[in-house]
Amino acid sequence: MTTPAVETLGLSKTYQGQTQALVGLDLRVERGEVFGFLGPNGAGKSTTIRLLLDLIHATSGSALVLGLDSRRQGVEARRHMGYLPGDLRLNDRMTAGEQLDSLERLRGRADDRLRAELCERFDLELDRPIRHLSKGNRQKVGLVQAFMHRPELAVLDEPSSGLDPLLQNQVRELLRETAADGRTVFLSSHSLDEVQHAADRVGIIRSGRLVDVDAVEHLRERALRHVTIVFAEPVDGKRFEGLDGVRVDAIEDSVVRLSAPEPAMDAIVKEAAAHRIVDLVSQPADLEEIFLELYEEPSGAD
Amino acid sequence: MPTELARRGVLDHRRALIGWCLGIAGYTLLTSSIFPSFKGSPDLTQLVERYPDALKALFGISGGGISTGAGYTDAELFSLMLPLIVLVLAIGSGARAFAGEEDAGRLELLLAYPLRRRDAVLAKGAAIAVEVVVVCLAGFLALALWSAVFGLDLSIGRLAAAMGSLAALGLLYGWLALGLGAAVPSKVLALGVPAAFAAAAYLVGGLYTLADWLKPFRFLSPFWLVGQSPLQNGVDGWGVLVVLAAAVVALGAGSLLVERRDLETP
Repeated sequence: MTTPAVETLGLSKTYQGQTQALVGLDLRVERGEVFGFLGPNGAGKSTTIRLLLDLIHATSGSALVLGLDSRRQGVEARRHMGYLPGDLRLNDRMTAGEQLDSLERLRGRADDRLRAELCERFDLELDRPIRHLSKGNRQKVGLVQAFMHRPELAVLDEPSSGLDPLLQNQVRELLRETAADGRTVFLSSHSLDEVQHAADRVGIIRSGRLVDVDAVEHLRERALRHVTIVFAEPVDGKRFEGLDGVRVDAIEDSVVRLSAPEPAMDAIVKEAAAHRIVDLVSQPADLEEIFLELYEEPSGAD
Repeated sequence: MPTELARRGVLDHRRALIGWCLGIAGYTLLTSSIFPSFKGSPDLTQLVERYPDALKALFGISGGGISTGAGYTDAELFSLMLPLIVLVLAIGSGARAFAGEEDAGRLELLLAYPLRRRDAVLAKGAAIAVEVVVVCLAGFLALALWSAVFGLDLSIGRLAAAMGSLAALGLLYGWLALGLGAAVPSKVLALGVPAAFAAAAYLVGGLYTLADWLKPFRFLSPFWLVGQSPLQNGVDGWGVLVVLAAAVVALGAGSLLVERRDLETP
């Protein structure tokens, strides 16, 4: 159990006649962590995941999953993996329960207690045909099947899509428990918010290249937030410019718009408190913006 | 375990399969029930027998004409309709089983499970075989019954062999469609190529007697290989074996080639 959960060496994928989808990926995911794989759409996240599952074949390089070669020992590796596809397509004519039964038989292994527990936890309606289920309920079926055999490595492609915030929380909880159990979660997402709540470490991928791997808290410290402060009366916005890491984006009368990383928040609030505040909103910048800020020189071959 | 894919393949189509069986029983009933009136009207029989050779060859009218039960059933059912029914079912199922499922994005999850792709293809091949055999068996039982009811006086042994040869043809084109879909991610190809091959082979098998230049190609026609007018002439056992061997090759090639390619996302 000392091998890493995922280890790729120069993993590359070029689709026929197209640009490089993945370029020399060197990635190491340790056992027992929730690893967030973050990048904008089309960055190569799904390509990486599909390589790990041997759904597609690498142009060069290799991937070890739980110490097994994803290509030559793929069946053995997948025995210990659970997968939630980014675009989950189920058999619409079955009920959720029948679909899970069928997948259990396909795997040849079942843990009925764990499955029942997961179904209850996600409040899954087992006897309704899948075609009548909402996107969120289908996603629940996908989550249950990915975890119902206690996988050593769960690979989830955008797991929160279609889920309401309450369920997103439940998913995060499940991921935390899985990691606490010594098992591993590989989580892809284009949302920094999702990843930073669920993951321990984050790999950032852009244009098929891994640009950074960092602990979540470091990333959060560096990631920009947009702060909008509405004052009761017009103020001199310039006073915020002197603060460390803070950029003044706009001053409109009594409204000041700033961009700043999290560690600067305290100083901003203290500075603003000198005046009467009507409203204060702070929200994360979107991923593209953060990328531009953090990795200004895109290294990808766009 | 991959056997689940075979099980699912049959169960998911169970309603359609019942429909095909009822259809084949109904169509053979309709055709058989007309036979007594044919038998009782020599004029009509003679009229048909005076058709030009080209038409007769194409409609499978041979030997004893259509005044005997065997000749009538050969011409009305085994020359076109029954092979057509079995092939439409087989090619449709074959193309849907892999290429169709891949197109719909449903293989993404299944192939991420611990099974080899080639086993998935073989399991789906087994499901297609079951479908083809069930429909042919339904056709056999129905015709055996109608033969007794309407006095067609068919030899049960020959009827069984004839339906068996249809099953072999179904298996060939069904597995060809499955194998193609496994080798190349295209439902259009998986449907179109076997259908085109079948149509060409059917025409060659039906018309080679009329066009000398077609004669050397008759060996390439599975329809010719299994033998035509099976109720009057019997089935060519070796031909059926050759067709079955070709079916196995198509399935085997598909199951090997599928390992080499990327699975497509919809």
